[in-house]
Amino acid sequence: MLAGQQVEFNRDIRPILSDRCFACHGPDAANRKSPLRLDVPSAAGKGSEIYARVTETNIAKRMPPAYAGHAALAKSDIETIKRWIDQGAPWQNHWSLVAPTRPNGGGIDEFVRRRLQRDGLKTSAQAPAHTLLRRVYLDLTGLPPSPELAAKFTIADYERVVDQLLASPEHAERMAQRWLEWARYADTNGYQSDGVRDMWRWRDWVIDAYKTNMPFDKFTIEQIAGDLLPNATLPQKIATGFHRNHRTNAEGGIVEEEFRVEYVADRVETTATVWLGLTLGCARCHDHKYDPLTQKDFYSMFAFYNNVPERGLVYNFGNEEPTIKAPTPEMAAKLAEYDAKLRSAEANWNALSAQSGKERKIWERRIKDRKEYDWRVEKGLIIYDDLESCDTPCTVTEGKRGKAAQFNGAAQVSAGDKANFNYMSPYSFAAWVKPESENGTILSRIEDYWEGEGYGLYVKQGNLHFVATRRYTDISLRLETEEKLAQGKWQHLAFTYDGTRKGAGVRIWIDGRPAKIKITFDELTYPFGPKVPFLIGSGGGMKFTGAIDDVRVFDRALTEEEALSTAVLETIDQIAAIPEKRRTAQQRAKLQLAFLDQGASAPIKDTLAARDAARIERDKYNETLPTVMVMVEGPKRQAYLLKRGAYDARGEAVESATPHALPAMKPEWPRNRLGLAQWLVDRHNPLTARVQMNRMWQMFFGTGLVKTVEDLGSQGEWPSHLALLDYLAVEFMDRGWDLRAMEKLIVMSEAYRQTSAASPEQWQRDPENRLISRGPRVRLPAAFVRDQALAVSGLLVNKTGGPSVKPYQPPGLWQELSGGAYREDKGDGLYRRSLYTYWKRTVAPPMMINFDSPTREGCVVRETRTNTPLQALNLMNDVTFVEAARKFAERMIREGGASVDDRVAYAWRVALARAPSAKEASAARLTYDRFVKKFDADPKAAERSLNAGASERDKSLNITELAAYTMVASLILNLDETVTKE
Amino acid sequence: MKRRTFLTTAALHSLLNAQATHHAPKAKRIIYLFQSGGPSQLELFDYKPRLRDKYKEELPDSIRMGQRLTGMSSTQSTFPVVPARFSFQQHGQSGAWISELLPHTAKIADKLTVVRSIHTEAINHDPAVTFLQTGSQIAGRPSMGSWVSYGLGSEAKDLPGFVVMISVGSGGQPLYDRLWGSGFLPTQYQGVKFRSVGDPVLFLRDPEGVSREDRRAYLDSLAAINQSKFNETGDPEIATRIAQYEMAFQMQASVPELTDLSKESASVVESYGADARKPGTFAYNCLMARRLAERGVRFIQLYHRDWDHHGGLQKGLPARCRETDQPAAALVRDLEQRGMLQDTLVVWGGEFGRTVYCQGRLTDQDYGRDHHPRCFTMWMAGGGMKPGLVYGETDDYSYNIVADPVHVHDLQATLLHCLGIDHTKLTYRYAGRYFRLTDVHGNVVKKILQS
Repeated sequence: MLAGQQVEFNRDIRPILSDRCFACHGPDAANRKSPLRLDVPSAAGKGSEIYARVTETNIAKRMPPAYAGHAALAKSDIETIKRWIDQGAPWQNHWSLVAPTRPNGGGIDEFVRRRLQRDGLKTSAQAPAHTLLRRVYLDLTGLPPSPELAAKFTIADYERVVDQLLASPEHAERMAQRWLEWARYADTNGYQSDGVRDMWRWRDWVIDAYKTNMPFDKFTIEQIAGDLLPNATLPQKIATGFHRNHRTNAEGGIVEEEFRVEYVADRVETTATVWLGLTLGCARCHDHKYDPLTQKDFYSMFAFYNNVPERGLVYNFGNEEPTIKAPTPEMAAKLAEYDAKLRSAEANWNALSAQSGKERKIWERRIKDRKEYDWRVEKGLIIYDDLESCDTPCTVTEGKRGKAAQFNGAAQVSAGDKANFNYMSPYSFAAWVKPESENGTILSRIEDYWEGEGYGLYVKQGNLHFVATRRYTDISLRLETEEKLAQGKWQHLAFTYDGTRKGAGVRIWIDGRPAKIKITFDELTYPFGPKVPFLIGSGGGMKFTGAIDDVRVFDRALTEEEALSTAVLETIDQIAAIPEKRRTAQQRAKLQLAFLDQGASAPIKDTLAARDAARIERDKYNETLPTVMVMVEGPKRQAYLLKRGAYDARGEAVESATPHALPAMKPEWPRNRLGLAQWLVDRHNPLTARVQMNRMWQMFFGTGLVKTVEDLGSQGEWPSHLALLDYLAVEFMDRGWDLRAMEKLIVMSEAYRQTSAASPEQWQRDPENRLISRGPRVRLPAAFVRDQALAVSGLLVNKTGGPSVKPYQPPGLWQELSGGAYREDKGDGLYRRSLYTYWKRTVAPPMMINFDSPTREGCVVRETRTNTPLQALNLMNDVTFVEAARKFAERMIREGGASVDDRVAYAWRVALARAPSAKEASAARLTYDRFVKKFDADPKAAERSLNAGASERDKSLNITELAAYTMVASLILNLDETVTKE
Repeated sequence: MKRRTFLTTAALHSLLNAQATHHAPKAKRIIYLFQSGGPSQLELFDYKPRLRDKYKEELPDSIRMGQRLTGMSSTQSTFPVVPARFSFQQHGQSGAWISELLPHTAKIADKLTVVRSIHTEAINHDPAVTFLQTGSQIAGRPSMGSWVSYGLGSEAKDLPGFVVMISVGSGGQPLYDRLWGSGFLPTQYQGVKFRSVGDPVLFLRDPEGVSREDRRAYLDSLAAINQSKFNETGDPEIATRIAQYEMAFQMQASVPELTDLSKESASVVESYGADARKPGTFAYNCLMARRLAERGVRFIQLYHRDWDHHGGLQKGLPARCRETDQPAAALVRDLEQRGMLQDTLVVWGGEFGRTVYCQGRLTDQDYGRDHHPRCFTMWMAGGGMKPGLVYGETDDYSYNIVADPVHVHDLQATLLHCLGIDHTKLTYRYAGRYFRLTDVHGNVVKKILQS
């Protein structure tokens, strides 16, 4: 601060106290070393005491205490404190916790100029038109302007261009790119083996929201609590995917609650970072040491997010519940067509029911004298064993249908490598059994010990017992019937599983009666793969004692009618001979199925077949529809303060509430996520608008007005322009949270339009451009470095939305860490914008990481930029950029004119929106000449140098020339200016 | 608690000198041989002869003391004790008990500091490895190597300061980029993975048909244009970029030179084992580690996987030992012979230990052990560690520590200490507070250090 300037508590004193004193004399009660608090208004009266202690010469008494390893305050800090006391030691609430009011002043430029004047600096001249054009293109779309536009653009067109860009889909993608980073969006779970998930429909939602310039308050409410809005629409539910984007753990053996708590805590911390710019995560284990955030505040926020009906241990592959089907509008329309077809097919079928009944009766009369006329369900029947014979030690005995196999506790019958079912495949079993022991295996495909891998149907302690296991103790499905099977008596069993990975998807009938099922373990989260054959009477470490007959295995889930029919021993003619009223339900089912299959007339068969086909078609299509993980409000789960943040150290019960130091929720808001969302975007919330505007400033200028964009709390940096920040925040709210309006306000300002070239004096006085004495000059974000190269080369496939794609990646990166192969896309997928690149969290795309992209493991809002040799290697040698250089070179030759100079000039315009200087042109020309000479002498090298990438080489072009231009093109892609926004 | 002045963000040139560190360093670099999956302390270093009499006995409650187990074995119906099925002998002056599975390691017993009392807080791989490598179970913090490069910079002129190498081919638990990531530190401090397939460093090789001379000429043009831009705008980032391209050019030469073994003596290569010339093996990576150390790389991190013996221990563990025992021992000897062991700290160990009770099927041919965070063994050599020391003691079941516990944060503090760094002072301000590798914990274990 300048000599003679008024000391301002928040700007000048609070940072010193916060950094050096609050840890022991601040908000954290547990760590407070004395009753003295310096974080509350009463500190105002303590000025002299503070001064005395920090200047104490007796080192034992000096503060901060030397015995705890702390150094004395800097002289300048002591001086500032002295002046504060001299001025009466006034105290202020921390600036960011007081709602912003409209400051005096008339807009961005006035605030910027005022601040510059104070430091004796001036604004810079307006940037040249081409610089400004490229700047605003990169800022608003992440892509460069076309060379045609660059050639004719004048400053007079600027506003029109800005309006066009703001309305473009590329702008929506650009905004989505950064929101994805904040939202820790990825295509995998992020822990351990890092399985795949599908959240791209949520990404589509974000792009759509930006496309329509959805106001930020609505944008917030829908993502945090779209599901709780009255009559929530599908898009509003999809929006809540925001808080399911956190990492989830599928590692076997984890303690479920430990990770469920982690997910909820992640939501709290992400909410605080994204909307509030507060480090609330610090209060997870103890009261915040610097800000007025208590541990109870943390867990009160936690309570908002605690009621999602979710598990700690998740599926490793695919989306974890709760999920919803999230068709695109096109898909939804198509599904509606299928639904309509199905409804009409069903109606046709129902219309025939009377006729069908009549026909059946006629058919019954016709066949009742056809001796031994039988029928069974054949569809999906992959194993049928009538067990009329078997090898020793199994013996043959009297069965339910002919002979049966008698097992003596030592025998087994193998069906070989069949019925290789897995956790997501539906299947069914049917068999007659006569158990003569309380324990034994009926059928199985499982390793031969009790906790082995595979599946098995058992008698266990008398009950019918089913197990499907990857690892018995934690990745398995286990269930049993409530009733016991009768010993020494034939009973029929039918079992169906629908492939939903849940015990609820299993149905069992004993002698045609539905059995009550007790699910004892329901964690079939992982595929399994038994390497043993399908066995009858054995497996899982047990053998069957008793008789088994008529075993059927289906690779689909039978319908109830079908399942019941498997129990019927009577042949069709026998059933037909029974008077209709005396037939059992099973008999009726079997007869009806047989009739429809065999006896019905062509119109009935066709109508039925048409209905079944329509259903299959509809279900098959429905199955292909993308899902997205969403927020759902389940039954209330009591939240507790967790001591030291440990999941198993519960303290007092807490209810959902917003942090006590911020304005309270209005009574009319519900105490759930919806109320929380409303609170976040309420006019009285002092943080949300400031936080968003600060980050918008970062987006345009490279650094926020508060540099610590993730922390506007006590330890955050003092704003370089508080009045400007408040002006933007108030303006933002006054304009109905209109993001585009604010973007336009900034890019139309003189401050933004300054040139970024600076004199040595400016560099010295304002090295980071915090005073905005010039325009921004910062390296492009990772995604834009790649997107720009694709655009410049003409390879970019500019399609909006859709599933993630897999562009080039050096081979083996996945295998060497987590296994699994990365399969590069062919065609379009190689050339989409980077926000669509498949993001595997534990092995992120290397180019993105080299250029400082956040890893997506957690919420990151600060932009960082390094400058490393790996970036140089990446731009020179990565196939993405080598191929782009080749296509860029083709473009130069085809579109750039006839002479080398023309082509170079054209290339400059394509990449940099301007003509090259004489020096640049000659350097490029020199490069060209050198490489033409080289490749002329070595045409094979020329050809090899053009091999990179999947795109076709333009064979009409001279190879030597093309190779030389490719080197020039690569040179341009590697220029500092090219990867920089000027 | 101001950031120390020596902690400059300028990497890639030497910053280490006696004045710059917090205290005089004993070690200039670390070679960390991470054994991922959790090698069993019971079969390798923590000899428990009394267990022989307790075979198949239930683990006593007095030992388990209600401590949590993983979800994999917590629902097991029994917890039968299994003693190691491999023999132990005492070795060297120190009389350290070392398993027959590690004959080469046994021969260097007197150079080792064996710590049998490491303990961790995590019970599953991902959080446990992340905890050891970043000081926090939750992803997002800088890795140990990043902290060290950030604190000390690099001595290597044309190589990164933090290099990672992974054994290929074996199965085992996945690894994650975050284990050598820089978290909130600038990405220039992230570990650079040297690979055994494709380019050793990603994008190192020039496109086909482009020679070194071509690249030189290209870079001269590039520098000329960038320089004129610098003159025009004055942005120092441009000067840095010109320098980074030069550095990249040098790396393109130095990395191939690094992997060229033609000048290594045959006997040295052979001492690392039969696989030492085979890229991607642990033996090859150990030899590379020494070559990297010679070239001034500050932190060299190797990963070898598949120590996760829930089952199949009887065959799997000896196989892992065959792959790693000789190379690790050879590395220590090789460093010593070159006079480098005194300032190179070699660390060997996994993310947790294994349970004394059997997990899964217990047969005469096989058994398994679950994750055990409460005690496990690591060894260190050189770089200021006290050689020939066995430190820490566990109970008869190798279940609880009974003397001299060393928490993961203590280990981290101690490793930093050897490098001349006070772990409480190597901090980085982010999101409103100063972060450090050891969070707010960690004590230097003085007793294992050379005085």
